[in-house]
Amino acid sequence: MKKYILSFLFAIAVFPAVGQERFVFTPQWTAQAQFAGYYVAQEKGFYKEAGIDVAIVHPSVTQSAMARIRKGESHATTLQLCQALEIVDGGIPLVNILQTSMNNGMVIVSRWGKNPLTQKGERVGVWSAGFGQLARCMSLKDNLNYEWIPFSTNVTLFVTGAIDATLGMSYNEYYQIVQAGFPLTDKEVYRFCDHGYNVQEDGVYMTWDYYNNHKEQAKRFAEASRRGWEWAAKHREETLEIVMKYVKKDHIATNRVLQKLMLEETLRLQVDRESGKREFRLRPDMVKKATDLMVEYGMIRGTVPYEKLIDAVK
Amino acid sequence: MKKPISYIQSSLSTRLSLLIVIFSAAILVASLGFMFNVSSQAIRQEAISRATQSLESTALRVQGILDHVKVATDNTDWLITRHLDGPDSMFVYSSRILENNPDLNGCSIAFEPDFFKEKGRWFSAYSLNDHGTIKTTQEGNPYYEYFYMDWYQLCKLLDRPVWTEPFTDYNPEGIYSPEMITSYCKPIKDRDGNFIGTISVDLSLNWLSQTISAVKPYPNSYSIMIGRGGTYFVHPDTNKLFYQTIFTETLEHEDTALVSLGHAMQNGEEGMKQLKIDGEKCYVFYKPLGETGWSTAIVCPESDIFGSFNRMKISIMLAVGAGLLLLLLASIRIITRELKPLKLLASQAETIASGNFEKALPDSNRSDEIGQLSHSFKDMQHSLITYIDELKMTTAQKASIENELKVASDIQMSMLPRIFPAFPNRKDIDLYACMTPAKEVGGDLYDFFVQDERLYFCIGDVSGKGIPASLFMAVTRNLFRIVAQQGHSPAEIAQQINTILSHENDQNMFVTMFIGCADLRTGHLDYCNCGHNAPLLDNLFMDVKNTNFPLGVLEGASFVGESIDDIRDRQLLLYTDGLNEAENPQKKLFGEKRVIDTLNGAQNMDSKAIILMLQDAVERHRDGAVPNDDLTLLCLKVNKV
Repeated sequence: MKKYILSFLFAIAVFPAVGQERFVFTPQWTAQAQFAGYYVAQEKGFYKEAGIDVAIVHPSVTQSAMARIRKGESHATTLQLCQALEIVDGGIPLVNILQTSMNNGMVIVSRWGKNPLTQKGERVGVWSAGFGQLARCMSLKDNLNYEWIPFSTNVTLFVTGAIDATLGMSYNEYYQIVQAGFPLTDKEVYRFCDHGYNVQEDGVYMTWDYYNNHKEQAKRFAEASRRGWEWAAKHREETLEIVMKYVKKDHIATNRVLQKLMLEETLRLQVDRESGKREFRLRPDMVKKATDLMVEYGMIRGTVPYEKLIDAVK
Repeated sequence: MKKPISYIQSSLSTRLSLLIVIFSAAILVASLGFMFNVSSQAIRQEAISRATQSLESTALRVQGILDHVKVATDNTDWLITRHLDGPDSMFVYSSRILENNPDLNGCSIAFEPDFFKEKGRWFSAYSLNDHGTIKTTQEGNPYYEYFYMDWYQLCKLLDRPVWTEPFTDYNPEGIYSPEMITSYCKPIKDRDGNFIGTISVDLSLNWLSQTISAVKPYPNSYSIMIGRGGTYFVHPDTNKLFYQTIFTETLEHEDTALVSLGHAMQNGEEGMKQLKIDGEKCYVFYKPLGETGWSTAIVCPESDIFGSFNRMKISIMLAVGAGLLLLLLASIRIITRELKPLKLLASQAETIASGNFEKALPDSNRSDEIGQLSHSFKDMQHSLITYIDELKMTTAQKASIENELKVASDIQMSMLPRIFPAFPNRKDIDLYACMTPAKEVGGDLYDFFVQDERLYFCIGDVSGKGIPASLFMAVTRNLFRIVAQQGHSPAEIAQQINTILSHENDQNMFVTMFIGCADLRTGHLDYCNCGHNAPLLDNLFMDVKNTNFPLGVLEGASFVGESIDDIRDRQLLLYTDGLNEAENPQKKLFGEKRVIDTLNGAQNMDSKAIILMLQDAVERHRDGAVPNDDLTLLCLKVNKV
């Protein structure tokens, strides 16, 4: 009898995931190195070791990450801070369970060798899926009055000359443009982080409802994900292999070179400028800066305090 | 390294052969280089022509099909504008395009958000040719906001019809079809010219991919096609299709040539570039595809274009190399054989040179230069033998003459008083003399003797040099002795000697003389100067008033004597022109001034010391030069006792 009891206890200790509900995590974009840490945590078994059964499900053309969250098909997603503020302001309370980005990676790239700050009233591409809140604030604040042209997924409008400039991420669209044969110089690239708009980006969010019922699960997911990112920073080649596995599985039109550059840049943006460390925390000052800007320029109706995004008692 | 070089230097045949081969190689290399260059240009031109033709025909074919799509679209869009009041008619038009053009894949007639109020935000009449069955539907919805799609926005923003970048079709089941599609998109405008929507006609590009891939002018050549953003839409490496651009690899490894090609293709240029692709030298011929903004290129490895030419080049080079080697060996052998008699001749000439003049030279029947050399050698050998014999004889004769001359010299010198002091028992006579002939025997003379307390002395210089002069000198000296001993005055002595010498003087020889006779008791000096240099008395040239003729010149000539009252304690120096006319290597004369300078301060020196001092001064002046004349000096001082 004693033998059976010991076996049972051992089974509980080693396989705590047994019987647990599956945790579905949906990054906000298709498979790419921007989400390397989560792929690593999955592939290296960090989630399993944390006792959670995680499924990484990417959004599709017909179903965005937030749509999945709303429907309850996914339990957590990555969002840029400004996006999260917009969603919270829109009435869906979200909690940040892990902050990965410590810097802003958004850029404006000019098509004609111009300084984007001189392109007053010109056509500037913006993601139709969102992410452009900070740029809209900047356009108003600096009185540039850009004509925003939403684009879906790639840089074709920019390459063909249909628009004069485009928003992009320093780890993604920036390299896509370079890859399309545009030898970019500092003059043609406006980096938000260097002009007083250094607002954090990617973090992992879930609804407060789900969080309140699954605190332990959320905590374990955040810790294992952080472990995944830390491992990725130390094992970049191996991480790139893992990323490419996910990319190939989803037939993403990218390549190893782009993903390598994306991984390097994503990891660079995770290092806090002031402390020089990967802090994995949402900075109250950045939340305040973002909300103040967004309120001032009408992106959101009211201030979203830092405490609304963070579980202070965890 | 030194050994082969010294071998080449010592072997004429090897050296000549090498020179021939080097010269031949230079001519061959220059000729072949020119030929290869011309051939290479021709092959290159041929490649350009072939590739250009292939590209032209591809471009034409593509243009034909694309034009067909444009016409199909143009035939419909006026209907759309005319029937904007009936949105449902758009379904009819979109399906009719496909019915009329079965090779088209799909057609969207899409409008701006909320354009038809009754249809809501989205209205896009989309027809699809599904394996011959045309299905029509409204494709816009919250999840597919078509107005953000490239196909919709491009023609709107650019305000002209455009071809979209090729894309792979996507179906809602999440399965990616390998089919490559492009859309011809044209803006729809209302009567006022305002943009209201886009008509987009889809065309499968699988045929294009196959057409371009089939262009293969060389066995290992391949074709590529890139879009405006440099993305590969046709490439033999399927991993690159849609996923990579022509610039992707240059992000990691700088490749300016590839970047330059990419930019040229993106800019719609047509041309050819040489660059390395995957480490292989390639020629890339490129051309834009109509108005699409795409560009196609044929990549031809250089080894393909120049493959057979390079093989032929290597074969020719090898054949030329082997030919040159054979030429070298043959040249060495032929030249060695041709030069063999010369070698034999050289060896025998060496034997002759070592003294064996009788060594027989080989007979040669050749009439060429070597034959002539052999004959010349034989002639030279004969001449040499004759010359050596004559030389032996001459040498023997010369030795005999030299011996005789030595004897003659001894005899001549023995005729002159050579024992000094000449009068050891007389304190009143300090006399010293010497004669140094320029050759074995000389033509100068001196003599002296005491008779009846008178000192007779003379110095003379016979015209000419050598044996005739020495014989004339011997005669003169004997005549002086014989005549003077008869107690005559110097003028009478001169008179008599002249008479004898000038008689039958066929050789016209003569002698200049200074004859003196000093009374040792009174110091009175009588003298007669017969054309001789004036002596020095107390280091001053004597003022000789009657120079007279030299002896032997004029038979019956009269001679006038002179006298000095007392020459006791005075220094008298007689000399021949071997003193004042002694030459140094620069032919500069010793000179009378230097004679006086040398004697300056020598008043208290005895005769011997004065003579030795003068000899030494002359020797130093000559500075190694061969004596140009006999040198005779006589110094006399009659002391008061």
